[in-house]
Amino acid sequence: MTPNASTSSGPSRRSFLASTAVATAAVAGGMPLLAACGGADGSSREGTTSSKDAKDILPAFVAGSVVTPDIASKNGSAVGFTGKLDLAGLKTSVPKKLGKGGKVTVMAPFWGSPPKGDNAYYTAMNDLIGVDVAWQNQDGNTYDQKLGAVLASSDVPDVVVIPGWNMGGKIPSAITSKFADLGPYLSGDKVKEYPNLAAIPTDAWQRSIFGGKLRGLPMPASYVTNIVPYYRKDVFDEEGYDIPASADEFMALAKDATNAKAKRWACGDMKWTAFNAFGVPSGQEKPLGWIEEGGKLVYRAELEQYLEALEWTRKLFAAGVVHPDFKLGKSQATDPGTKFAAGEFLIYNNDISSWYGLTAAQATQNPDFEIWGMDIFGHDGGDPTLYATQPANIFAFVSKKASEAVVRDTLAVANVTAAPYGTKEFMLTNYGVEGTHYSVEDGVPVKNDTGNNHVVNAYVMVASPAPTIAHPDFANIAKGQVEWQQRMGAFTRKTPFYGMQITEPSRLTSLSNDFEQLEDDIVRGHKKIGDMQQAVSDWKSKGGDKLRDWYRKILDENGPAAG
Amino acid sequence: MSHSTVPRSKAEATKPVEEPAASGDAAGPPDAPPRGKQGKRGKPSLRLRYRRDRVLLLMTLPAVALVLVFNYLPILGNVVAFQDYDPYISDNGVVSILNSPLVGLENFQRIMEDSAFWNALKNTLVLFFLQLVLFFPIPVLLALLINSVIRPRVRAVAQAILYLPHFFSWVLVIAVFQQLLGGAGIFSQLLRQNGHDGLEVMTNPDTFMFLLTAQSVWKDAGWGIIVFLAALASVSPDLYEAAAMDGAGRRRRMWHVTLPALRPVIALLLVLRVGDALTVGFEQILLQRDAVGPGASEVLDTFVWWNGVRNQDFGYAAAAGLIKGVVSLGLVLAANKVAHLMGEQGVYKK
Repeated sequence: MTPNASTSSGPSRRSFLASTAVATAAVAGGMPLLAACGGADGSSREGTTSSKDAKDILPAFVAGSVVTPDIASKNGSAVGFTGKLDLAGLKTSVPKKLGKGGKVTVMAPFWGSPPKGDNAYYTAMNDLIGVDVAWQNQDGNTYDQKLGAVLASSDVPDVVVIPGWNMGGKIPSAITSKFADLGPYLSGDKVKEYPNLAAIPTDAWQRSIFGGKLRGLPMPASYVTNIVPYYRKDVFDEEGYDIPASADEFMALAKDATNAKAKRWACGDMKWTAFNAFGVPSGQEKPLGWIEEGGKLVYRAELEQYLEALEWTRKLFAAGVVHPDFKLGKSQATDPGTKFAAGEFLIYNNDISSWYGLTAAQATQNPDFEIWGMDIFGHDGGDPTLYATQPANIFAFVSKKASEAVVRDTLAVANVTAAPYGTKEFMLTNYGVEGTHYSVEDGVPVKNDTGNNHVVNAYVMVASPAPTIAHPDFANIAKGQVEWQQRMGAFTRKTPFYGMQITEPSRLTSLSNDFEQLEDDIVRGHKKIGDMQQAVSDWKSKGGDKLRDWYRKILDENGPAAG
Repeated sequence: MSHSTVPRSKAEATKPVEEPAASGDAAGPPDAPPRGKQGKRGKPSLRLRYRRDRVLLLMTLPAVALVLVFNYLPILGNVVAFQDYDPYISDNGVVSILNSPLVGLENFQRIMEDSAFWNALKNTLVLFFLQLVLFFPIPVLLALLINSVIRPRVRAVAQAILYLPHFFSWVLVIAVFQQLLGGAGIFSQLLRQNGHDGLEVMTNPDTFMFLLTAQSVWKDAGWGIIVFLAALASVSPDLYEAAAMDGAGRRRRMWHVTLPALRPVIALLLVLRVGDALTVGFEQILLQRDAVGPGASEVLDTFVWWNGVRNQDFGYAAAAGLIKGVVSLGLVLAANKVAHLMGEQGVYKK
């Protein structure tokens, strides 16, 4: 299918090694690292733009018309559903089984303990799709370790799900060499055979181009930052605290709210929020960290506001307002969410999904508990400058060795899992079988124990509809989430490499691997801001400047991302 | 077996005890004939020995096969240390190795220039010496203590309690330490309620090495006494009685009877430990790496893991691992030499 992908990366890597002048190698067309670069014909890249190349590859967009959301997408937000669930009125988006009854093995990360393979949920899904999906669920927290071993073996499952944060090191090269080009099945109008896939936003498809071919089935995401500063609304109301609107106000509130003797601290590690408040480009993915300033590409770690954000976070730690366990970082033995619910601290930042997750988890045993997201403040009290995150970050890939029948069956699976909210397919994918996994009371579907054990994160990993937020049990939270995204989306800018699937040369990319650890060392008081400045200047001389030239070349050839 | 060495000290003059202990624990290769080395008279011919020992040789075959397949064969994989290895260019690890470009000593050169590597090496050595001084003597002392307990039931209970933590996973051990000694742990809160500051032992990079050692002692010191207890059990009670008859008190009996009995075992374990010097705990450190940062916590094993598994720079990680292996080999040879000079057996004999 794409014999050129692997062979062309071989010599280029050698030429890269042969020459320390990386920039030269890149200019010579040595590295087919940019997503939109045609892998088949190296020379055709010259003078072409990513959007033009991608146009031939990307699937056509046909908006779904089966259901209308209560809150439409605005400023990059998800669509929101806030009404009650009408079980009888569920629509059908897949009128006819597309599966041909084949068997497809899928390896995917799984957070929680996976159910047995023959459980009622998997069986019902497979019946609806018409494909016998066999799951190989792996622990999501250590997925990267497992992934490397599986991809290096000859025994790659038919479908492998890979989150963007697991695409370190040489994984992108493995994606190009091990997984099939789905272009022949999906490019242009071909996607119309799978209407739910055709309704996936083009941004997300663009991100699914690896090594010049459409290889991934995306899980679309809102490009508005996913990091929400949460606070305990119940405690804030009770104590009469105001929501801070600047970095100084936050500090004052934090000092006021901390009472270590009573085991209460103001907040957790606020580094991510600090980056947002001080206007630091996203650290979600390395290419997003580059912005243009005065015509020059600058990396986030080089920016003044980056150091200011670290300094402010350091001050929070030094002031003793941060719960001590956050000094343990990822080494914490117990989940911060539990301590937040227990009132050990009042503010912390986490993924937007925690808004609903914690609410639902605490609803019965802790009825007073109320979590809410505060708007990200500009550090000086003005509007914040936020940067867009990637519009898709989890992808399913089909093995290159899979037969056409397996590819077709996989697409049939994806077409069901990508069904929008309000359809029968969505309900089965996300809630399971009515009566077995959930029951509907007063328009609210509630999962029972079987549902909570079986219907976790399996099928949703294959492909998903356009970003959707719907919590019929907590409609106010769904509304809060979407509106938060819309307000923050208004301050959000896209950086030059937004939406592109870029793989940095491995030698250069590893140079910045240690920044995150250094950030943590600084905010926790183990290292000084000066150490970061030193690290950045080392990074520049060791290859950061070469990386800058490398990115400049991509930008000159392809132009900035649309939008 | 240890007759070839001359006793050098007074303590060693009481040597007869030592022999059973030594041959029990420091067992040589099982196929070595008891009269295999008899001064200058020479060995029986190879054929004769083969005929005599073939059953024994046959019995070692499965073990040898396992060692070959799982220990020696993978050594060949070290060739990736000289490559820019990419495991994904083919479906088969061996083919990937054959197709990955050779880069000569580039990986080693990069390591030499990498301050993170030298930092990891420094941490490894510091931790090794710290554990040698603070950890190693504790099982010996515990064994002596347990051995002095007469009542079997008390002894059994004490032993069981000491062994138990060995069976806890590191995750659990560290969680317990965090709950007790963490910044928001039980002791910190007690201190705060009495007007003091909380503890910072779990997140203080300056004292991290002591924390690691303390955790190791808590978890594994009890387990470490088993070998010493076995050695102590083999000491003939006659010797104690004889010593007592000659008027030796408790302390003298320990000095002249018990400790000489333990000497070969201590020497052997010391040599083995030195050979393992660069392996100072992987899981334990990895689990706490983020609490103090890599500057304080990175050791060679976590360095290899970070670069190989996390950064997928396999050639680089393999090169670091290879360096570690070579240095370890040098250390074990040196330690063995020292053991020989001290008149002990060490791990092997020349």
